[in-house]
Amino acid sequence: MDANTIIDSLSGQFPDDIYDTDVESGIRILAKVKPENVVEVCRYLKEDLSFDHLGCEFGVDYPDRNEIEVVYLISSYDHPVVLTLKAILPRDNPEIESVVPVYWNANWYERETYELFGVKYINHPDLRQLVLPEEMLGEWPLRKDYKGFPNKTAKNLV
Amino acid sequence: MDEVEQTEAEQTEVEENEAENFGYDDVPGVTLTDSNAISDFLKKTKVQDVLNWGRKNSLWFTVNAMGCCGVELLSTGMAHYDTDRFGIIPRNSPRHADVLIISGYVTKKYLPALKRVWDQMPSPKWVIAFGDCAISGGPFYESYSTHQNVDEIFPVDVFVPGCPPRCEALIQGFVELQKKIEAKKDRGTEY
Amino acid sequence: MLEEKVGPSEMIVHIGPQHPMLPGPFRLNARLRGETVVDSEVEMGWIHKGIEKILENKTYLQGITIVDRICYLAALSNEEAYVGCVEKLAGIEVPERSQYIRVIVEELSRLQSHLLGMGEYASFVGFVSMFMYTIKEREDVLSLLDSITGARITHSFLRFGGVKDDIPPGFRDDVKRVFPNVRKAIDSYEDMYSTDSIYRARTVDVGVLTADVAKDLGVSGPPLRATGVPFDIRKDEPYLVYEDLDFKVCTETAGDVYARIQVRLDEMRESMYIIEQCLDQMPEGPLFAEDTPYGKRSPVMRIPAGEVYHRVEDPRGEMGFYMVSDGSDKPYRVKIRGPVYPTLQTLPPLLKGVKVADIVAIAGSMDTCTSEVDR
Ligand code: SF4
Repeated sequence: MDANTIIDSLSGQFPDDIYDTDVESGIRILAKVKPENVVEVCRYLKEDLSFDHLGCEFGVDYPDRNEIEVVYLISSYDHPVVLTLKAILPRDNPEIESVVPVYWNANWYERETYELFGVKYINHPDLRQLVLPEEMLGEWPLRKDYKGFPNKTAKNLV
Repeated sequence: MDEVEQTEAEQTEVEENEAENFGYDDVPGVTLTDSNAISDFLKKTKVQDVLNWGRKNSLWFTVNAMGCCGVELLSTGMAHYDTDRFGIIPRNSPRHADVLIISGYVTKKYLPALKRVWDQMPSPKWVIAFGDCAISGGPFYESYSTHQNVDEIFPVDVFVPGCPPRCEALIQGFVELQKKIEAKKDRGTEY
Repeated sequence: MLEEKVGPSEMIVHIGPQHPMLPGPFRLNARLRGETVVDSEVEMGWIHKGIEKILENKTYLQGITIVDRICYLAALSNEEAYVGCVEKLAGIEVPERSQYIRVIVEELSRLQSHLLGMGEYASFVGFVSMFMYTIKEREDVLSLLDSITGARITHSFLRFGGVKDDIPPGFRDDVKRVFPNVRKAIDSYEDMYSTDSIYRARTVDVGVLTADVAKDLGVSGPPLRATGVPFDIRKDEPYLVYEDLDFKVCTETAGDVYARIQVRLDEMRESMYIIEQCLDQMPEGPLFAEDTPYGKRSPVMRIPAGEVYHRVEDPRGEMGFYMVSDGSDKPYRVKIRGPVYPTLQTLPPLLKGVKVADIVAIAGSMDTCTSEVDR
């Protein structure tokens, strides 16, 4: 399966939800998705286009555009194409449907994005903190305007 | 009136003493002192030198690999460096260990667990800060989730700098600790 | 949550975070009925150090030192993924000699990582002397690596557009001296593993992962290849000079603990074969492309704006970096996709129904590197 057919098939299936598609090279393609329909798109990707491997899911913070991007890196065990799927959320109230029903291993990625960026995942089976201690929840340390970095407490520096 | 009060006070004192020494006072020929008194006395004598000689030659350390330095910690305990010849033996249980090696970054989440390991170790016990992270924060000195200045939390005796220090450096650290114990300058034993 | 589901005659056992039988600090909460694990969950983050945030505040060159510390057993693969991202964004060419040197150091790093992982795992199943053996071979391999990069664990060896140093004179002789010993040692490990009936009883048909389930859970690397899926980034999406090298993707079909170890044994042989090929094929030439600023002292470099995902084959599976650059001298966002992250997530489903004693065998055979999950 090559990059162009994948993009055509994807935007043919979801003309309203997929926009800004781009073929960077033979093995890297890019698309943006409306946040409401991300689960259907992922299901289609997994079942019909054999994108069965969710590489990663994470957030990128853009304070000047007042947006948080949630990026899904989806690849496959059968072909080398990697799809970068982006959903753009408002920064004040980022909420998106969880893709755990489709990609099981999204569970931890979503928990991590939740605690680091404050993205709320609707219908996530167990949305709580993963790597931070509980009392740090709510600080969203990976947002660009986080105040606790750099930490200036180190005393023994030379 | 005064007399009565006094006797009452005496009585309670006696009762307390009895409660403390319960079970011992009927054993003939036993002088009661508490163990602190004995160790305080011993510390002033040459016996302490002998004890320290024994202690310094059996520094068993806990294997808690916490960061990159932990890998060097594992290697040090293995056959290639053969630290057993100095009496330095890796132990898995903190209950068996004398030396806590902080081998890497101490995060806010991990600190309680590390303190618990420290509390479980029987004294006398020593701490070696192994690697830059344990000394100053290392490459993560500005991180939001690690604890800098670990030496304010644990009584560190020896600092081994490096990122990671080589295994030879850790052995050198142990030698320094041995010297400190011999000179009665360590922080692990209370003099 | 586990606590809410505890039934009669069940109990929860917390294993970790500091536990000698765990490969790094994480906590496994297991709900037990007698000796059998009914349900379990993994708690992470005991050594989370916020590397992604730190990388955003370091210049590109400083970042190389930080990415070393993501997974201390595969420092060079991490560097390759990071440096590869920057090279793709800036369009930097790497001369062929540098590419060969990179392959050599990365395969050496795979070799030492597998040796340590296997030894650690062997000690978990009660084979402590095996740990001693593998560490002995590992020291030899590390000294090879040390002679090239100047460090044992954290190398900071790759540079944008090349490598820090050429291989030292006499390296070929060292390789000729060390590799036969390592080969012999690997053969003897295999012998021990395949003939020891106690060991086989503890590993064969324990912790079976089937190919479909493994794909569903997003696993990569040796645990996936042990189920028969020949997924290897070095073949599927070749980087460096892997296209010109002859090696095979090692697979097994059983998918149990034994197969995972077997895959690693085979991979170590392949790695040594790759290194020997590299030493034969390596062309002479400069380490950095001529007439470029790369390799000179230039702490500040600006990378054109853009986004890129670059993935490499780590000793544990697919290691990828997603980098967003805004045209300044620091990356805007770096996401580290580590291979152990999904692998560790598979523990709860895999541990369902096994005995307590098998927990460590299964967890150890996954060769998890907690530092990389927490970052
Ligand atoms: S001092 Fe360096 S090598 Fe040691 S744990 Fe810290 S970062 Fe890792």
